[in-house]
Amino acid sequence: MIKLSQRLLGPVTLLLLGLTFWLGLWITPPDAVQGNLVRLLYVHPPIAWVALYVSFGTASIASCLYLWKRTRSEVMDRIAHCSMEVSVVFIALTLITGSIWGRPTWGVWWAWDARLTSTAILGVFALAYLALRRANDDPTLRARRGAVFAILTAINVPIIHFSVQWWKTLHQGASVLTSNGTLNVHGSMLWTMLIGFVGFTLLFFWLLRYRYRLEVKRDLKVADTVVEALALRQREGV
Amino acid sequence: MADVEVASALTPVEPPASKSRSSWRSIGVIVVLVGVVVVLLSQGLLSSLNYFETVDQALGQRTSLGTKVIRLEGVVEPGTISRTNSGASFTLTGSGTHHVFVTAQGSPPQLFQANIPVVVVGHFVSSTSLRFAGTQIMVKHSSSYIAAHPNRVKAPNGTSR
Repeated sequence: MIKLSQRLLGPVTLLLLGLTFWLGLWITPPDAVQGNLVRLLYVHPPIAWVALYVSFGTASIASCLYLWKRTRSEVMDRIAHCSMEVSVVFIALTLITGSIWGRPTWGVWWAWDARLTSTAILGVFALAYLALRRANDDPTLRARRGAVFAILTAINVPIIHFSVQWWKTLHQGASVLTSNGTLNVHGSMLWTMLIGFVGFTLLFFWLLRYRYRLEVKRDLKVADTVVEALALRQREGV
Repeated sequence: MADVEVASALTPVEPPASKSRSSWRSIGVIVVLVGVVVVLLSQGLLSSLNYFETVDQALGQRTSLGTKVIRLEGVVEPGTISRTNSGASFTLTGSGTHHVFVTAQGSPPQLFQANIPVVVVGHFVSSTSLRFAGTQIMVKHSSSYIAAHPNRVKAPNGTSR
């Protein structure tokens, strides 16, 4: 069952993303105010959802499980590390697609409001996490420090989420995860956006799976190199 | 060739980096991180957590604001937009009877229209005037997305009616 779902992950992801683009570009109607600019709605919020909640959430949960002695393992450390790497890509895409949307709608590429600034800070945190891992040579120390850092920086995620409610921002409020539970998106536009949410979430797990396998192969190669070097020395009688 | 490989394999390797060396590198990363975050905060959040003042708030603080540059938010009153060679002039309304007359330089954004909330960067012409000289207009669109023609139906031949 698990193998089947792993095998289907890629095709289902591509199918849902293809469906999102088809519905978003050709089937859904233009918005009453934004016109065709609304088509970025099917890409930007789903990417931001993955960047903030899915990838940072996965990294934080894996970090917590690593710090907890009963569940501590290399697997948790690898998941946290790989999630954070994929997160960097999604945060960058969030800022890029947001800017592309912001220029024609707001009239500016960037605004220093609470939502945008706190999202940029999250991107800096993700990069700092990766730098922190490279700064530590000892694998145990690297994993522990990385886990603590990932959990601390995750505090920024609720700040980003509630920034549009706590402060006055140029960025609009939530359209789906609203405080009163209402949906502010009309008919087929909503369905297309929700398919986008599922598609980009699956894309994250697909990328995470491949990144994880790459990390395992890299670790195995390092171990093989050490074994080969030892064998060579033994043959030479050292 | 094989001798070279053996020689390189037997070359003494450096001992693994000490814990203190890793700690110093980690401290370096944290210091750089704090620096970058402080720069971002000084650009954004620290100057003002709230990105703009509403028309009501600005008029309530008229004397203290003077001719200071602020970001003013309000809704563009219908029938007041006048496009000029250098920009546009219009009336911004807050809640109730609060109005500010805006003259803004530069071309307004694509979505600029009547009844839409906007944020204008600029200043009041004087400490008693209700005229606001803007240098930039930003449209603050809502979080609602409504189909342009929700009642249109598709005819059998594929055209919309």
